[in-house]
Amino acid sequence: MKSLRARLLIAVGGATLLVWAVTAALAYLSARHEAAELLDAQLAQSTRLLLQRVAFEDQRQRSDEGEGEDDEEVTDKFEHDRLNPYVQDQTFTVWRLPGHVLLRTDNAPAMGLLARTGYSDLIEAGRTWRVLSRRDATGRYQVQIAQPTQGRDRAALEVAMRIAGPMAIALPLLIGFIYLAVRRGLAPLNALAGEVARRKPDELAPLDADDTPPEASPLVAALNDLLARIAGTLDNERRFTADAAHELRTPLAALKVQAQVAGMANDEATRMHAIGQVLAGADRAAHLVEQLLRLARLDPLRGPVQMHPCGIEDLLLEAVAALAHLAHEKGVTLSIEAPQPPVMVAGDPEMIAVALRNLVENAVRYTPAGGRVQVGADCAQGVRLWVRDDGPGVAANELDRLTERFYRGREVTSEGSGLGLAIVRRIAELHGAGLALANRSTGGFEAALVFPSEISRNP
Amino acid sequence: MRILLVEDDALLGDGLAAGLKLAGWSVDWVRDGEAARLALLDQKYDGCVLDLGLPRRDGVSVLKDLRGRGDATPVLILTARDTRDDKVAGLDAGADDYLTKPFDLLELQARLRALTRRAGGQAAPTLTHADVTLDPAARSVTREGQVVTLSAREYALLHDLLAHKGRIRARAELEESLYAWGEEVESNTVEVYIHHLRKKLGSDFIRTVRGLGYVVGDAA
Repeated sequence: MKSLRARLLIAVGGATLLVWAVTAALAYLSARHEAAELLDAQLAQSTRLLLQRVAFEDQRQRSDEGEGEDDEEVTDKFEHDRLNPYVQDQTFTVWRLPGHVLLRTDNAPAMGLLARTGYSDLIEAGRTWRVLSRRDATGRYQVQIAQPTQGRDRAALEVAMRIAGPMAIALPLLIGFIYLAVRRGLAPLNALAGEVARRKPDELAPLDADDTPPEASPLVAALNDLLARIAGTLDNERRFTADAAHELRTPLAALKVQAQVAGMANDEATRMHAIGQVLAGADRAAHLVEQLLRLARLDPLRGPVQMHPCGIEDLLLEAVAALAHLAHEKGVTLSIEAPQPPVMVAGDPEMIAVALRNLVENAVRYTPAGGRVQVGADCAQGVRLWVRDDGPGVAANELDRLTERFYRGREVTSEGSGLGLAIVRRIAELHGAGLALANRSTGGFEAALVFPSEISRNP
Repeated sequence: MRILLVEDDALLGDGLAAGLKLAGWSVDWVRDGEAARLALLDQKYDGCVLDLGLPRRDGVSVLKDLRGRGDATPVLILTARDTRDDKVAGLDAGADDYLTKPFDLLELQARLRALTRRAGGQAAPTLTHADVTLDPAARSVTREGQVVTLSAREYALLHDLLAHKGRIRARAELEESLYAWGEEVESNTVEVYIHHLRKKLGSDFIRTVRGLGYVVGDAA
């Protein structure tokens, strides 16, 4: 991609040069034409004067000397006046008709009496001549004035050059001004580039949009948008790291305290209990780390999900099987309502399985003993994978915060990582699916993954 | 000496309760802010270990409520929030000390000992009366420089009486100090332990104030 400046210079400079050349050519042609007309008019005037003069002189001579044929040929030499381009060599021959040469300049080309009057071009002795022949009104005299075309051309060229000369000087000036104008016009862009280049990596404040020309403002707006998104992502990452460190503190504190209790305990029962707690704590910390890594791997900047057809029934069964043990321990009934006929959605089966598992785990955890958790799907609007429980539900003012990382309900004392729903939401986003969290009108809570559409069994 | 432990994390709470019991405290453990508020209303504690991020009611709110009532129970905040602003906010809300997780159990025990000692208006780290010295850090009792071996309950009872030297302690107060929630209080246990202590420390070391309770030293 060529620089804007080069493009502008080439386009504007090229156009200027072209227009200039055409103008110069036209000026030359019209100057030539004008010069030719002028010189022709000069010829015409000369012939008229000559004819009048010749007729008058001839008449007088003849009346003085009778009707004798004694005319000597008068030859004459005209001096050149080189100062004026319009002063040209003029040679002429004057006849008294029918064929007597009255007067002839010595440099006149050898040419006979032309039958035709008017302008003509003649080649004689390797030179071209412009000839005007004219008869006087009585038809007794004919004048033929010849002018070498070389001189005429030189005159035309000189005139043309006098017009084109200033234009030739104007051209480099014009190009210079264009160059300066382009430079000046593009200066705000350079300033903008400089401002971006000077920034430190963490300087993510938006660029000043007021200072930029309207042409560049879409670019500035796009840049500012990008800067804002980068700032958001960075902020998110920083907060995430801080939150993660914070969240690891409690399990670490528990591990340390339990280990110290095990060391200090003076009876076997206390020691064994503490050691058991250390192991449980290690498991919990490991689970938290695993969830953190999972969330980090679900980073949307890492690229799109590999989509595969996923059988809903298998996913539901897998989630229920994974949580059957916990449900049994808690005395919660876990059941499944697979859709008929079988339904498939496009997605990453492992991710969808993780999401479903998290939803079922939440439901089982927050449902009191004797409660009931159902897992199922329906295809009324897209594909809804839902998990319903008949637990206490969630306070209305907490619904929006449920998917925040490390958010735990106000009323909840739970051992979860606080990341489950954040992971589910991220997975939903990556699949273009929705996560619907709501209390059920009949009591309890429903969490649903809503995929925009199902795919047919045999694609 | 009886401590209220407020910690919502099951694993940490369990470890802290065990660790503080090992140091000779009787421990009541609650897992949310509201329960903590009610417990502090209901019972006079010698100290409180308070987490800040709690369900149902934030730790700072519990603390403000406590101080708002003019209750001077020593409170040690135990939290994962470790910025300067958090510490300032916690201490300004009325906390006496601040520990961030993860922490050392021995340090927590020592800080609690210091807090309860200062709350009792006592400067020296050991408690002394007549020829008997009790060292809470070492959990040891000496009489005329000779180590006296006491059971956990005997030690706790002696600690309570020495900490409240010169004040009459009712039997009910001593029972509350000795037993955490859920521990069965047998009848006459206080009398039994007093009897044991008198045998080991001298019959006139603990005096009975008829109809009121027991006292070490001269009743004010």
